[in-house]
Amino acid sequence: MNQKEIIQQCKQNNYTAQIEVYNAYKNMLYNSCYRILKNREDAEDLVQDAFIKGFQKINQVKDDVNLAAWFRRIAINLCFDKIRKEKHLFSMEDYKEIEAESEEMEFENAEEVSIDFIKECIDKLKDKYRVIVVLYMIEEYNHREISEILQINESTVRNQYARGKNQLITLLQKHTKNEFKRTHSAT
Amino acid sequence: MNLKEHIQQHKNEFDSEQMSATSEVLFKKRLQGELHSTKKSKVVYLRFITIAASIVLVLSIFFWNQNSGVSSETKEVLAFLNNESAGKRLEGVYKFDDEFKKEDSKIINTLIKILHNDANANVKIATIDALLKFPSNDKVRTNLITALEKEKIPLVQIKIIKSLSFLREHRAQKTLEEIINNNETFPIVKSNATLAMNQLKQ
Repeated sequence: MNQKEIIQQCKQNNYTAQIEVYNAYKNMLYNSCYRILKNREDAEDLVQDAFIKGFQKINQVKDDVNLAAWFRRIAINLCFDKIRKEKHLFSMEDYKEIEAESEEMEFENAEEVSIDFIKECIDKLKDKYRVIVVLYMIEEYNHREISEILQINESTVRNQYARGKNQLITLLQKHTKNEFKRTHSAT
Repeated sequence: MNLKEHIQQHKNEFDSEQMSATSEVLFKKRLQGELHSTKKSKVVYLRFITIAASIVLVLSIFFWNQNSGVSSETKEVLAFLNNESAGKRLEGVYKFDDEFKKEDSKIINTLIKILHNDANANVKIATIDALLKFPSNDKVRTNLITALEKEKIPLVQIKIIKSLSFLREHRAQKTLEEIINNNETFPIVKSNATLAMNQLKQ
């Protein structure tokens, strides 16, 4: 079955098609949720919620919709609904601090840093920065979309993203300098 | 290469976490329960039955309350008055005439309905006699006037005109005048209307 046929089958509440969609995208959704919530159980629960909600509303989408992106959007929205409801991880109030312009640093030769280390550094960021960095750099949301999800000003998003990115680059640069020192002291 | 480009190029490595082995079993169970459950349709069906039963119950109580104060005699008269046979309806009118002294709103309403709609002149005339037992009832008086406005059968017209004259119903003057001035009115009806008009004007 191609994607269009799968969507049509899901619209008819076809169980086999629904399981096929679940198996195709469950890990992608899980990773997106886990990156935001940093809790495996919560992420798994929300993935299930997202699929159930998606299948209930699938009649509202066109047959040529990007199903993966659509389900991911549902899952991410559910993550932030949960955050707002339970006020855990971080408070949305964190974003309401006075805005100050932050200039974005640049980090060239990023390919020299391993992905595992970038992940490690992202995890070290404060939650309020980590979430925006994740949404922008990994999930490929733009600032406007992030502002809609977080229900804050777009300018605040830009500012917080710049700060988060700068902190991330600082962490990455420290590592790069240490690696440089280690290499040269060894020689 | 900048940081975002590097991350996007290795996006798959960011999606390395796997759902637990039990999650699929749990999801299938949940999917079955929430979107494929036959129980759900049974619940909807039962809910529908419950609502329908509630409506029937409420309507039954309503009609029971409406009829609870009706005596068996009234029910019998009403059954006669609503009968398809003109003879039976006539019998009903006379039953009412003979057996009822008090006003009964249900019977009076039925008689007024007969006065306006019955096709049989004899039934109508008997009905007017029955209604005249309640000369002070304004509903009876006003309905006699409106009946006269629409009535086409000369015998019934004359009966109503005489009744309104007997009741000294001054509000009937306008209708009487229209009957007198109408070229299609039977002469005997015209003369009765003129007589009634003169009596009302006295």
